[in-house]
Amino acid sequence: MEKSTESHEKFWEIFSKQDRKKIDEFQRYMDKFAINFNLYKDGNFIERSLPFDVIPRIISKEDFSKIEKGLIQRVTALNMFLEDLYTDEKIINDGIIPREFVLQAKGYLEKFKGFSPSKKIRTHINGIDLVKDSVNDEWVILEDNLRVPSGSSYPLSIRDTYRKIYPDFFETMKIKPIKQYPKYIADAMNYVNCGGINIVLSPGRFNAAYYEHSYLADKIGAELVRAHELKVVDKKLYFKNYNGKLVRVGAVYRRLDDDFLDPTFFNPESLIGVPGLVEAYLSKNVAIMNGIGNGVADDKGIYYFVPKMIKYYLGEEPILQNAPTYLPYFKEDMEYVFNNMEKLVIKDVAEAGGYGVLFGHTMTATQIADLKLIIKADPRRFIAQELIEFYDEKCYIDGKLQDRKADFRAYVVMGEDVKVWECGLTRYALEAGNYLVNSSQGGGFKDTWIME
Amino acid sequence: MKQLLTANVATHLYWLGRYLERIESTLIWVMKAYDFVIDVDKNAGIALYKKFGIDLEYSDSQSFLNNALLGEHTANIYSLTSKARENAIICRSQIDAEAFGEIMELNSIFDKAYKNKIDINHQCIDSAHSLIREIWGSLSRRKSRQSSDYFFRLGKIVEELDFYLRFGADRDIVEIVIKNIDVIIKKLSCESESDAKEYQSLSMEQENIMFEIDKRIAKIIVG
Repeated sequence: MEKSTESHEKFWEIFSKQDRKKIDEFQRYMDKFAINFNLYKDGNFIERSLPFDVIPRIISKEDFSKIEKGLIQRVTALNMFLEDLYTDEKIINDGIIPREFVLQAKGYLEKFKGFSPSKKIRTHINGIDLVKDSVNDEWVILEDNLRVPSGSSYPLSIRDTYRKIYPDFFETMKIKPIKQYPKYIADAMNYVNCGGINIVLSPGRFNAAYYEHSYLADKIGAELVRAHELKVVDKKLYFKNYNGKLVRVGAVYRRLDDDFLDPTFFNPESLIGVPGLVEAYLSKNVAIMNGIGNGVADDKGIYYFVPKMIKYYLGEEPILQNAPTYLPYFKEDMEYVFNNMEKLVIKDVAEAGGYGVLFGHTMTATQIADLKLIIKADPRRFIAQELIEFYDEKCYIDGKLQDRKADFRAYVVMGEDVKVWECGLTRYALEAGNYLVNSSQGGGFKDTWIME
Repeated sequence: MKQLLTANVATHLYWLGRYLERIESTLIWVMKAYDFVIDVDKNAGIALYKKFGIDLEYSDSQSFLNNALLGEHTANIYSLTSKARENAIICRSQIDAEAFGEIMELNSIFDKAYKNKIDINHQCIDSAHSLIREIWGSLSRRKSRQSSDYFFRLGKIVEELDFYLRFGADRDIVEIVIKNIDVIIKKLSCESESDAKEYQSLSMEQENIMFEIDKRIAKIIVG
């Protein structure tokens, strides 16, 4: 467990005096308002709420201040990297990142070479996953999510309930308010807007995060739309009003991946994309957030180079460190990985959501031997990381306090300024000892309290 | 009243109003018939459901309630609340948050009863009525009306008219409801500027009033 601070102690003191029966009210609230993260299982659509734990993660003012500075630095560098990569390629020409390594990234979209989006911003809404290393007592970056990071609506929704059910904590402890997040997004949208209304583009009702799409659209003050409610005319994007009138769209907060955005440009089978949208984007008639082609920067292999990007673009030392990472793509690293497989975590760079993650210490000798063959055949496809022993968080499960692994997704919004939301999504593993906390792996969430 | 709204959301708001009104009216009529089925007229439930085009079978008052509200037919209340729930999810950003929660609760009452084969009783019907009243209340509490509110309200009164026509209500009442529908359709037509100037008022004399209303709605919701 992390070292207890004054805030932690205050929390436990207040918690000991609270009526614990009221904890059930959180679930009732989530059911009543259908605060769901849906799943598809065996071909069936299952509506379910995310498991919620009442014990919040408490982050001290000092810790958050460092996280904030580190994330502003990191996202700024990542945005500069993307802009450079799709225009001048200085970082490649200067030999900081091997050209071949970048070009092999699945998320790199060569067709967008030479295009610079509105205000040169590509990383508008970012979810950066961190853990607090229990060995060094430092926050460490695990992953950058620069495409369509989800999850912010859950803490936003639950905080309101928390304040109603247990107001004592908020009256007594100095917890930072969090309601400003939708405004950060609205401001960023307005900043890059190319003339017209703001919209949230959702795949629709049966998407896992539909609740979030609808919640954020409402709070941002943007229209929630699906592809067929939009139309491109003369390289401009329009919203189709119910009365048949077309209303110009200036910024799109898209909640679908690049591949599905526009069937005339990407996957022709996509039924959730808008024909002609990419053309409108390339003509700078509409801003799309996050930018198309961002996948290259949150590729797990490119993650290795982020500290180098920070030094290269900003001339600064990284404030927050990566988990120690090895690229089997480099001969020396492959040797180290093969000699230390039992203690490493191997990740498939193309996967996300906790998929394609293998823990060496849980694998048999045969499995390790097989994996080595696969890595040898396609070393670019994998990275290896030292297993970070991150702190457990206390969770109130089955009426008892229990320790669980938990990470922290911080949300960083880039508009005129870069802002780090004074909250985030703390995700915890439901089973003891499990390191996978992703919601799509069945993980739950906690509120995150940043102290004033 | 200028408001952006997709055709999908406008349609779902309209149907949300219709389903909620259908649920409320069905519950009222079922409780009236139930009272008769107990000891006045055993066949009162059969006569009621004939009006919905359903041949209902039951052996006593409890089985009337269960079969009327949860039986396998088109007026099954669980199926109606599920449809209301689905409509609400799609247009949730246009409806009051509390009203949204109440629609979820309304569905969950009948969801539990249907899935666990629990007998329907007056408490469950009373709870449903209270929730529906809260939902209508949230609509009237709004300080100003937007197109979304009018679509929701239009659905409610079109369904009211449907019930009045099925149950042979007085001509005066029907005329008032038609007038109300006309006012809303006119407002929405002006908003859409679809032949607003040539707009002809609805009247009871029109041959198939429900069909005429559908036609006019189709002109307003273009997308």
